[in-house]
Amino acid sequence: MSKRRKSKQVLFISAIVLILSTLLLGCTNESKENSTSNKDSKDMLTLAWPRDIGEMNPHVYNPSQLFATSMIYEPLVSYQDGGELKPHLAESWEISKDGKEYTFNLRQDVKFSDGTSFNAEIVKKNFDTILKNVDLHSWLGFITKVDQTEVIDQNTFKLTLKEPYYPTIQELAVVRPVRFLGDAGFPKDGDTSKGVTKPVGTGPWILEEHKADEYAIFKRNENYWGELPKVKKIKVKIIPDAETRVLAFEKGDLDLIYGEGAISLDAFKQLETTGNYETSISDPVATRQLVMNTKKEQLSDLRVRQALQYGFNKKAMVDGVTSGLEEKADFILPTNFPYTSDIDVTAIDYNVEKAKALLDEAGWKLPKGKNVREKDGKPLEIELMYDSAESIQKAMAETLQSEWAALGVKLNIVGVELTVQIERFKANDFELNFFSNYGAPYDPHTFVNVVGSEGFGFNEAISSYPNRDELLKQIADVPGTTDEKERQELYSTILESLQDQGAIVPISYIKKIAVYQKDVSNFTFPANRDEHPFTGISIEK
Amino acid sequence: MGTYILKRIMAIIPIFLLATLLTFGMIHLSPVDPAEAYLSAAHIQSTDEILAQKRHEFGLDQPLHVQYVNSIIKICQFDFGISYLSNKPVWDEVTYRMPATIQLALGSIILAILVSVPLGFLAGIKKNSGIDHFSRLLSFFGASIPSFWLGYLLIFFFSVKLDLFPVEGIGTWQHLVLPSVTLALPLIALYTRLLRASVLENLQEPYVLFARTRGIHEKVIMGKHVLRIAISPMITGLGMNLGKLLTGTIIVEAVFSWPGFGRYFIEAIFNRDVPVIQCYVLLAAGLFIFSNLIVDLIQMCIDPRISRKGGQRQ
Repeated sequence: MSKRRKSKQVLFISAIVLILSTLLLGCTNESKENSTSNKDSKDMLTLAWPRDIGEMNPHVYNPSQLFATSMIYEPLVSYQDGGELKPHLAESWEISKDGKEYTFNLRQDVKFSDGTSFNAEIVKKNFDTILKNVDLHSWLGFITKVDQTEVIDQNTFKLTLKEPYYPTIQELAVVRPVRFLGDAGFPKDGDTSKGVTKPVGTGPWILEEHKADEYAIFKRNENYWGELPKVKKIKVKIIPDAETRVLAFEKGDLDLIYGEGAISLDAFKQLETTGNYETSISDPVATRQLVMNTKKEQLSDLRVRQALQYGFNKKAMVDGVTSGLEEKADFILPTNFPYTSDIDVTAIDYNVEKAKALLDEAGWKLPKGKNVREKDGKPLEIELMYDSAESIQKAMAETLQSEWAALGVKLNIVGVELTVQIERFKANDFELNFFSNYGAPYDPHTFVNVVGSEGFGFNEAISSYPNRDELLKQIADVPGTTDEKERQELYSTILESLQDQGAIVPISYIKKIAVYQKDVSNFTFPANRDEHPFTGISIEK
Repeated sequence: MGTYILKRIMAIIPIFLLATLLTFGMIHLSPVDPAEAYLSAAHIQSTDEILAQKRHEFGLDQPLHVQYVNSIIKICQFDFGISYLSNKPVWDEVTYRMPATIQLALGSIILAILVSVPLGFLAGIKKNSGIDHFSRLLSFFGASIPSFWLGYLLIFFFSVKLDLFPVEGIGTWQHLVLPSVTLALPLIALYTRLLRASVLENLQEPYVLFARTRGIHEKVIMGKHVLRIAISPMITGLGMNLGKLLTGTIIVEAVFSWPGFGRYFIEAIFNRDVPVIQCYVLLAAGLFIFSNLIVDLIQMCIDPRISRKGGQRQ
């Protein structure tokens, strides 16, 4: 019996050994092949993206990823550093004196990737298709103001607005919906909102292969009118998990990781400290703000709002929470945006004593033996709402809670889903909330417009401002201005007033990060928040 | 047995209806408006016009009961609607991703059976031996380590450090190894312990002693009698876990970038893609019901006493 048992054991163990060794042998062979194939792809830059690139339709939104759309389709005007608007598919443009007529002289040497010509007719066709769904695109200010689109001649296109709207040119630089699809991409009924037949654009890249949820390969458009990209192909691997992205990068499967929140701040720091990779941080793309609802009694007093600002160490908080990847913000919009550099506001530095004095002055006294200030028997209690999925907002909320507790302010922090946060903000059902502006090329006009529009949270939130009505009128006047000087003055007054009265507190400037292998060079962040960063990038393997 | 199967199949209808009602209720009780979720996912600044247009497009402007009845009618026609996010039929999207998930689930279930059956059996018949201690250690490890953490560890050692397997993706059998192991380990832990306990219990049964006194070969007793009966609780466990296995792929698919159904579902939840969530819940419910039915039938074949008991009750 024992002999039989022994032989059974031996048989079992040898079977396991056999299976394992075959497994390992197979893997080693295959991995060798894999690594060879990696080295073969010299001219291909591989990067990771958390979501599938989606259908490459320039006229709709979800699920298309903006960076990928911008690789294929181009705008009439491009947004450059410092908010400069440069000619792109339009060589130049004239704006009529009344600010209503925009005449674009189109670039003549442009062809779509299928060889067809880019001309005024296809521009009109794209515009008219987009305008069929005005409601869908109403968030983009100029769309609702378009009165007429005209083909003047093969290379001249004219856009007429119902009323002057100065940000038109800036809004033409956004990634969707106003980018141009070639004729072959239009479906039979011409309605692109339901889908496109194939992604034909004028951009530097052509979508070569796409496997949903797995990868997408873009090849260089050899007939591109502009500067030809240096790498021949870009492979976008879809890796939803941030830690896996880091591991794949460390293994060498990826050449580049970039974006906002592409990997955790800790992972970024860790990769940076190894010294094995290159890292890069962009200019500010937006400002993280704290919005105080002045409709709530305790926040209606300017002194309380200022006290809260004096009462926390902004720099220490931003450095601590974001590991120094975000920068302490002094202005409610980054100063690398148009019309934002000439703002004169009083910076509020960390000063606990001043904060306490302001609260005392406002009537919120700290009763003996208690930790929370009171006024007429009511404790100074405020609620801060944050997006529970965003670790930075959560950490900042917790920091504020402990900082303000030292002033005698009880801060209740409430984590909610992003959509709930937006809904409650819009319904004015909040006391303190985090917000960030839209970035380039949307701001400053989009941010200011949101502040001025009803049903977005801000309009009500600033209700205790003594100059609220005047401020709202100025906001309403800005888009219609035709005089550059007048516009600049209006923006300065609006932004200064919004900030000085303390309902909108700048916290930090949000930045994009990039980590790349040493053989990748010339990586630069685009000025437009949503554009692709592959212009000029090169790789030497 | 025929009436029993028919009864079980008929019971599926009310369970399904309940599942649809629960999903529908949960989605509509949530404070999140799918139209708003769509816009925030698309990074569009929402205006009343777009919200109204999207709500109308999604049919969310209709009364709740109309929406529910409409969705039931459509489901009966195997039409799960159009995904809010991709604008494509949900069923097409699901069937496109299903094979990858099934492949992963099958891979891990086969691995789990291959490891846990011999290990559990040997641990049972050789109580307190080396193999028993090993099985205990493995079970402890498998039951306590979170899947995503195990996934990262495996990627770190076997992909990044040893370069044996790819980090992510799908295509070759090497791609399947790490995710299957990650998914199989908790199952191995469970089944090994189940089988071991069951073998130990059966060894105490009088039939074993009786067989031994009759001089039946030990190998025959163990293989033909003990294992056959002892494996029964494990099959129940396996059936109950089949549905769980498909849902369990969610985390593993995300960690290993496996382009399956689980990942698609997670994205749907975040974006409140109601038709996709409904489709997923119904499929999961169907799978649980179906796998339990299959397990009961297998049990009947292995141990005819079960069907006899059922018959007596009827």
